[in-house]
Amino acid sequence: MIEFRGVTKTYPGSERPAVDDLSFEVPEGEICVLVGPSGCGKTTTMRMINRLIEPTEGEILIGGEPNTRISATELRRKIGYAIQQIGLFPHRTIAENVGTVPSLLEWDKERIRRRVDEMLELVGLNPDDFRNRYPAELSGGQQQRVGVARALAADPPIMLMDEPFGAVDPITRERLQDEFLKIQQDIRKTIVFVTHDIDEAIKLGDRIAILKQGGTLAQYDSPENILTNPASEFVASFVGTDRVLKRLSLTRLEEIELGPPQGNGGLPRLPEQASLKDALSEMIGSGAERVLVISGEGRVRGSLSLDELRRLSGRAG
Amino acid sequence: MTPEGIVRVFLRPQFPELLLTHVELSALAVGIAVLIALPVALAVRSSPLGTAVAINVGNVGRAVPSLALLALALPFLGFGFAPSLVALTALAIPPILINATTGLREVSDEVVDAARGMGLSESQILRDIQLPIAAPVIFAGVRTSAVQVVASATLATFIGGGGLGNLIVEGFQRGDEAILLAGALSVAALAVATEVLFGALERALTPKGLRLTRRKRTK
Repeated sequence: MIEFRGVTKTYPGSERPAVDDLSFEVPEGEICVLVGPSGCGKTTTMRMINRLIEPTEGEILIGGEPNTRISATELRRKIGYAIQQIGLFPHRTIAENVGTVPSLLEWDKERIRRRVDEMLELVGLNPDDFRNRYPAELSGGQQQRVGVARALAADPPIMLMDEPFGAVDPITRERLQDEFLKIQQDIRKTIVFVTHDIDEAIKLGDRIAILKQGGTLAQYDSPENILTNPASEFVASFVGTDRVLKRLSLTRLEEIELGPPQGNGGLPRLPEQASLKDALSEMIGSGAERVLVISGEGRVRGSLSLDELRRLSGRAG
Repeated sequence: MTPEGIVRVFLRPQFPELLLTHVELSALAVGIAVLIALPVALAVRSSPLGTAVAINVGNVGRAVPSLALLALALPFLGFGFAPSLVALTALAIPPILINATTGLREVSDEVVDAARGMGLSESQILRDIQLPIAAPVIFAGVRTSAVQVVASATLATFIGGGGLGNLIVEGFQRGDEAILLAGALSVAALAVATEVLFGALERALTPKGLRLTRRKRTK
């Protein structure tokens, strides 16, 4: 869907490129997370997709066509754009903000109105409460939701998101991430997501592109493979020494084969949506060798022992 | 001197004419100043250097006393309405230039980036985003400028520009306090009326969302 072909960007007055000979492809309907330390060119890389920055060399294909085929403004109206500081227009209502691109595309008023309500509902904001309010009246988390709704409003096949959950507290961020993943299951957009937070990358990415200083691609792979087989010292250290734990956090209890429910009622109980990391944490915390897994209806589905957990994590070693 | 004496000055047949000249001189000066300062502010808005130059020129311009400006106009342009207008326009420009430049610069980069990233053209960004957000600040500059010009237009009388200053000079020359006070009071009232009028316009021009932002900031 999006293909980088030998893309290099050197800023005027700078000797070394910010992005150096980047080639990779983002398949349709997947979330590709660009991650790396500051100065690795991840934001530059993203901004070249909708031509907020023009590459010095190479080209970017979208759906097989160079993104220079149509005018920059026309291109941008087809690509959702959400940024960290949100950039909501302070002088416009929430409805006007969300309706920005549909208005640019000259949708009729009734269609825009319906779409705005639909988008607000999608991101969990009651349209009746929010459509006529102004950004200054909303909390940081609510503004982030509006930012995402605005980016989605014209139903673009592609979304660019630059740390869209960066400016909120950790608890709100986690909730926004979970909701975002749930929304993505329905809408299946091709998303390029920039973050400096490797945990966010692992949680959200179908694929992760790890960039390093100087704008070169250190590894482009699924989260599992990056955690299991880091391609270099740099990737291993960027991912962190706790990568076994991170890998455990990728798997939910409902995804593994559980042992038979055994032991007495004194064992710790965990919902099946909890991750293996949660299970390990529970075992260490309670001193138990085994946890019970509870289904949504409250039935005991099975159990997981510390030995079994160790075996599962072994693959991540 | 009696209140009746002052009222008698207001009832003179020349009084409306003096008032009209005063208002005309001030309004034209501010109008022309807007037409000069606003395009300059727009032209420098994307250049940090240009912005810094414009603000500094504005600050220096503000430091020049009004009487000095009028005195400067005399040897070059002579006596009368036009030289007064030129001098008052020069006086009116700095506050508008400073506020317009600052107002446009203060529109946050993220807001402009988001607008550009969503596909607004550069002219749409200016018209729909930057100008409405900067409008209250720009208009505050116009207000400052207008009040200052109304007050300073009193001095136009020294280079034959007319206006309510004529009364003050006449009052001095004839040692007539009633005439002097009538002049002073009418200028003061006109300045206050300008302030009130432009204040109301400024509030009307501030988009609701921005009023909320400000209230929040001052909490």
